[in-house]
Amino acid sequence: MTTKCSPPELRPKKLDILVAAVVLVLAVVVAVGFYGPKLGQSDHLTAVISVGEEVIERVDLATLKEDKLLTVEGECTLNVLLSNSGAEVILSDCPTQDCVHTGHISRAGQSIVCLPGQVVIHLEGASDEGAPDIVVG
Amino acid sequence: MTSMQKWTTKHLTLCAVLTALALALSTLENLFPVTLLIPLPGVKLGLANIVTLFALYYLGTGSAFMILIARCLLGALFAGNASALLFSLLGGVLAMAIMALLRRCRKLSVYGVSIAGAAGHNIGQICAAMITLGNTMVLGYLPFLLLVSLFSGALTGFVVALLFRAMEHVKLSRT
Repeated sequence: MTTKCSPPELRPKKLDILVAAVVLVLAVVVAVGFYGPKLGQSDHLTAVISVGEEVIERVDLATLKEDKLLTVEGECTLNVLLSNSGAEVILSDCPTQDCVHTGHISRAGQSIVCLPGQVVIHLEGASDEGAPDIVVG
Repeated sequence: MTSMQKWTTKHLTLCAVLTALALALSTLENLFPVTLLIPLPGVKLGLANIVTLFALYYLGTGSAFMILIARCLLGALFAGNASALLFSLLGGVLAMAIMALLRRCRKLSVYGVSIAGAAGHNIGQICAAMITLGNTMVLGYLPFLLLVSLFSGALTGFVVALLFRAMEHVKLSRT
């Protein structure tokens, strides 16, 4: 059997730049659409913790007197540290540990997602606007 | 690949070897988690995509698709994680579909096809995440994943280009 498949073009062509540009534009559009409306809200941070589709806890971070350690039981067990400045997952028994590596989140619109545990910790309300969401690379 | 292809032993073996290679590359990739550098879930080099891309050009869409499905099923089996299957399947199939379409465009090189495929993979995975989590919060990760896919896609394209250059001198009959 001979296949009709021809070998690919091995050198970058001009149209490749277009593909890269489309991907870039898509990234910007999603970023603006997702993060845009969340800027400029009240500077009152609320941590919304949900497991699956269910919101299990809303914690008002601004009125928090002292740091609060919360144990979230999803598919995995997460230890979440909530403070005035934000939230972070300090311990998790999930295999990927992405939630722990995400580190501390402190700005509205940011979230920590633990996929194996199906846990989402999301910050609502805005504080210092204009700062970068995440610095990549 | 439009007509029914004849599955010779050699063809079947080649597909099996490529499946094994893709699985090995995924495992290798897990040993060097890029997530430590860029703390975003789902950020990967996508080394297994090298195999998909190569198979797409060398064996055609049908065989490449079968290798992809076999890789996803076996990968989920090894990881023992059913939700991982949805992630790799949605991401993989979307990447595959995009690459299979763009491959026909002669004005695109392997780099463009690869970048589009990597982006498609990320979009598919975010879709899977939205399905499993039941909310759209994870959509916030997509812009960063897409930025990373520009680099990982170019890297994959580069490796496949190297591969095809090296294979110009290899008379591996296409049966």
